[in-house]
Amino acid sequence: MTKQVQEAYIVAVTRTPVGKAPRGMLRNVRPDDLLAHVIKSALAQVPTLDTSLISDAVVGCAFPEAEQGLNMARIGVLLAGLPDTVGGVTINRYCSSGINAVQIAADRIRLGEADVVIAGGAESMSMVPMMGNKVALNPEIFAKDENYAIAYGMGLTAEKVAQQWQVSREDQDAFALESHRRALAAIQSGAFKSEITPFEVTLRRPNLATGEVQISKKLLDTDEGPRADTSLEGLAKLKTVFDAKGSVTAGNSSQTSDGAAAVVLVSEKILKQFNLTPLARYVTFSVKGVPPAIMGIGPKEAIPLACRQAGIAQNDLKWIELNEAFAAQSLAVIRDLELDTTVINPHGGAIALGHPLGATGAIRTATLVHGMRNQGKQGYGMVTMCIGTGMGAAGILEIL
Amino acid sequence: MSQTKFIVRKVAVLGAGVMGAQIAAHLANARVPTVLFDLPATTGDKNAIALKAIDALKKQKPSPLAGKDAIGAITPANYDDHLSLLKDCDLVIEAIAERMDWKTDLYRKVAPHLGDNTIFVTNTSGLSINTLADSLPDNLKPHFCGVHFFNPPRYMHLVEIIPCRGSNAEMLDNLERFLVTTLGKGVIRAKDTPNFVANRIGVFSMLATIANAEKFGIRFDVVDDLTGPRLGRPKSATFRTADVVGLDTFAHVVKTMQDTLPNDPWHGLFKSPEWLQKLIAAGALGAKTKVGIYKKEGKQMFVLDPASGEYVGSGEKGDDAVKDILKNPDPAAKFKALRESQHPQAQFLWACFRDVFHYIAVHLADIAHSARDVDFAIRWGFGWSVGPFETWQSAGWQQVVGWIKEDVEAGRALSSAALPAWALAADRSGVHFAEGSFDAAGGRLVGRSTLDVYSRQLAPARVLGEKSAPLGDTVFENDGVRAFTTGDDVLVVSFKSKAHAIGPDVLEGLNTALDIAEERFKALVIWQTEEPFSVGADLQSMMPAFMMGDWDSIESMVRRFQDTSMRLRYSPVPTVAATQGYVFGGGCEFAMHVDRAVAALESYVGLVEVGVGLLPGGGGCKEFALRASQQAKGGDVLASLKDYFMAVAMAKVGTSAIETQEIGYFRPTDVVVFNAYELLYVAKQQALALAESGYRPPLKVKSFPVAGRTGAASIKGQLVNMLEGRFISQHDFFISGLIADVMTGGDVDAGTEVDEQWILDLERKAFMTLLKNSKTQDRIANMLTTGKPLRN
Repeated sequence: MTKQVQEAYIVAVTRTPVGKAPRGMLRNVRPDDLLAHVIKSALAQVPTLDTSLISDAVVGCAFPEAEQGLNMARIGVLLAGLPDTVGGVTINRYCSSGINAVQIAADRIRLGEADVVIAGGAESMSMVPMMGNKVALNPEIFAKDENYAIAYGMGLTAEKVAQQWQVSREDQDAFALESHRRALAAIQSGAFKSEITPFEVTLRRPNLATGEVQISKKLLDTDEGPRADTSLEGLAKLKTVFDAKGSVTAGNSSQTSDGAAAVVLVSEKILKQFNLTPLARYVTFSVKGVPPAIMGIGPKEAIPLACRQAGIAQNDLKWIELNEAFAAQSLAVIRDLELDTTVINPHGGAIALGHPLGATGAIRTATLVHGMRNQGKQGYGMVTMCIGTGMGAAGILEIL
Repeated sequence: MSQTKFIVRKVAVLGAGVMGAQIAAHLANARVPTVLFDLPATTGDKNAIALKAIDALKKQKPSPLAGKDAIGAITPANYDDHLSLLKDCDLVIEAIAERMDWKTDLYRKVAPHLGDNTIFVTNTSGLSINTLADSLPDNLKPHFCGVHFFNPPRYMHLVEIIPCRGSNAEMLDNLERFLVTTLGKGVIRAKDTPNFVANRIGVFSMLATIANAEKFGIRFDVVDDLTGPRLGRPKSATFRTADVVGLDTFAHVVKTMQDTLPNDPWHGLFKSPEWLQKLIAAGALGAKTKVGIYKKEGKQMFVLDPASGEYVGSGEKGDDAVKDILKNPDPAAKFKALRESQHPQAQFLWACFRDVFHYIAVHLADIAHSARDVDFAIRWGFGWSVGPFETWQSAGWQQVVGWIKEDVEAGRALSSAALPAWALAADRSGVHFAEGSFDAAGGRLVGRSTLDVYSRQLAPARVLGEKSAPLGDTVFENDGVRAFTTGDDVLVVSFKSKAHAIGPDVLEGLNTALDIAEERFKALVIWQTEEPFSVGADLQSMMPAFMMGDWDSIESMVRRFQDTSMRLRYSPVPTVAATQGYVFGGGCEFAMHVDRAVAALESYVGLVEVGVGLLPGGGGCKEFALRASQQAKGGDVLASLKDYFMAVAMAKVGTSAIETQEIGYFRPTDVVVFNAYELLYVAKQQALALAESGYRPPLKVKSFPVAGRTGAASIKGQLVNMLEGRFISQHDFFISGLIADVMTGGDVDAGTEVDEQWILDLERKAFMTLLKNSKTQDRIANMLTTGKPLRN
């Protein structure tokens, strides 16, 4: 059983708006700058907290190299102006990195070895593409037929799920359309305001006539992904990308994106010491492997496991942030687990809002915490996703 | 040499319609900075009209752009804001709609802005150049003339130059030099008569075909089957051509003929048939509206039945008996058979020829400077392989004259006009002779243009009857090649095989030529007397050994192929390949190994071996592996190899010499030539320049790093996705995997140093593995029997 000695609470959580990659407003913004920005913003929400008590910053990133290499977590901490004593570790489990960061941070507190830890995630898909800058596969993958699936692209695994679970193109497109509809409604109602920290983008362009660098600034305060012009007809026209005779298109897949989020977790002792309001209590995290060829089905294994660990029923979950890597895998998971679609992604998902890989888990934590609290909901909520090479992860929070 | 050196620094094109934009695109292909003007847009960006036209160029098929960077050479402009740019333009091409009043209005606007020496030309298919010139101030007239580009201008070789009365002779010569060398066009000088030469005859031919089809009751799809490639004309033949041109445009040209040629004996023919008027009224304008004489519904094609006005299922072919007549290689016998046949389709064909012959004979004196100009105009402007006068001459001048006379007298011809006296002369055997071609107005034979630009055409286009002995003195000849010299110390090798495929004779011949060149010449040029450069290895010649399972002899031939490629690279004399048309497989490998490729713009280049289930086995894989390692920055060979791999695995074909450089088959140092008739000249210049620069062959590459087994694994990661995503077949996957293994240097660690022979050996072994594979054998058999690749 658990060796937990104390509870871990979230006292601040925020995120950047999610930019489209590689042509959105954040395309030239470094991910470590995004990270420093959200760390500063999260800490500003708990101004009384003594930052010298922060022991570590755990930051998820799916392709931690180049602009987001060199242990981005530590660089983000230093750029944010935190004391030299604060540590930083960059962690990677692809798309669950962000929720894993929350889990690791919470577990350090729950074990009693830390009282204040920052968790987060940052990813610039504009700067570091899917698969990284250099793909270098192990030749052993091709020595055995059964290992080939390690090399499958994510889209192809979605096609495999669509085939095996018989998810139709029409259903995928309808799911995608609904994601956009919900996201737009959330934006229009201002639902994201409390979770987003706007980012001021600085543009540096040469003025060829004067020979000077022209500096201009633009504020990004809204997610760039949701499209008001999406329609079933438009979606139906898109060509399949991963399988010549398949059903997965750019329209019913998640978008490539840039973004970051930061979460401040503290122990009960710190809550009292600094008179902080807890937003949520960390409950549990689960991960489970599935065949790499059908990686998208991962949450089907992880969700029940997390519920068992938390000692709750699936129906006790009042809000589920289920990462929409693909409509195909989302629908397969939803149908097999008979999830209540009204509690899944009430503000839309990655098909509309974007999916900055390693940052997504932390970003959707912000949506879960603020979303439930804004609607006056208390109780259990979940962040869950499928993970490349075949895994599912799920984290449960109790929103207070 | 010309007296004053003429340099075109910048060109303006006025009018961003279909022709204007495409002319601008071709100028840009030739790296001529071009300003494309149109009217100012009434809302938004004032350049919007020109901008939209430039953007549309990227999507047009066939592409007016020869490379992805060309478009950057075009600057959008509008008449409100940018007329001051005209003063820096050495050539201004007006290409707005065919309206006299619009054109003259524009001339008033631009005239004050033209530079003192600017050549100002109008692109028109038929308006009177002299009438347009009359609207210009006197000081501009010497700089003015008409030009007539054919659509699409990148691909159609013909440009007619139509001087006005005041055109300065030196200006015309400079314009012709520019059109011929820089833009690669075939120029004829035309008289200022309605529709000039090519359209006057070409459109007449279409009208005569329409009239005769009606007379003999031939369906339109059958007409197209009979009047296309079977006559050496484009696949679009007659009615599909009208659809592609646009039925409204076609009707407009016909209307111009009706209005401007009241005294033409065929004037009654110059009207749009009723069915055509109905189609236009209904908005069925051809390809641009997707419905015209033809229409497509799903996969089924339909063709108009003019009698009922209804569409009927299309695809009917000409009668076999008639098609057999057309196959007769003896033109005299062929025409006799056509005329004597009672088959309506044969009579129809004879009537079409007869009326065109009749027409060109009657009009030669008025419209063209010589019969050669007529034949070139139709060949280059309408894509006929043989011009109408050549056809007549080859069928026996006197025999045909007799038939035309008989038909005219019997009232069977479309006009009762008498043949002119020169045509009837009893001693006449034709219009093209060694001494020149017939000029009916002058009653004499005229030679070719003596303009200096044509001294660059060592093997120019010829008309039948003209002197056309093989070029130069034969130095060596076998069944595969002829090697010759024109006395300039360059040995030129031409392949003699069909489509210049490379078999044992060609390999032997090329090696002997290299022996001779190394002994007695300064350089060696591979040049073919006609396109293509080469379709690659001669699979047919491998068949006997293949059938007998004599793998050793096939492998030794592959080895010979590789050795020849390597010899082209390391020979002590410079080697140059002059390419045009298809440069496939082994032909591409030779072009990749010579010191310099000199490529006609219209070179279509690729390592296409996977189409027959093989991989490049003549050094192509090796060459790409070597280039990738030389280009690798920071030691990442795979990063530079990936695109080369995809080019080979997908049998990617460069659709121009420039795109071929972008893909990487050709190098940035290779030379692009816009006029294919100048190829040999430029190739020799390049070869001699290399030789005279103290040529030393490249040092043997002792070792270079390869991407190795991890590189192959990363490539296979992509292949697995394509296989599982059903984009490629299992056999494609197998072939691509082998190509990856070869190009990454085999089962060695990444970064391992190998030499060229190492990869050549891998290449050859993989080639043999594939050759023994039954699926590859099926692909080869299919290619040899149907000429088409099999996907299995």
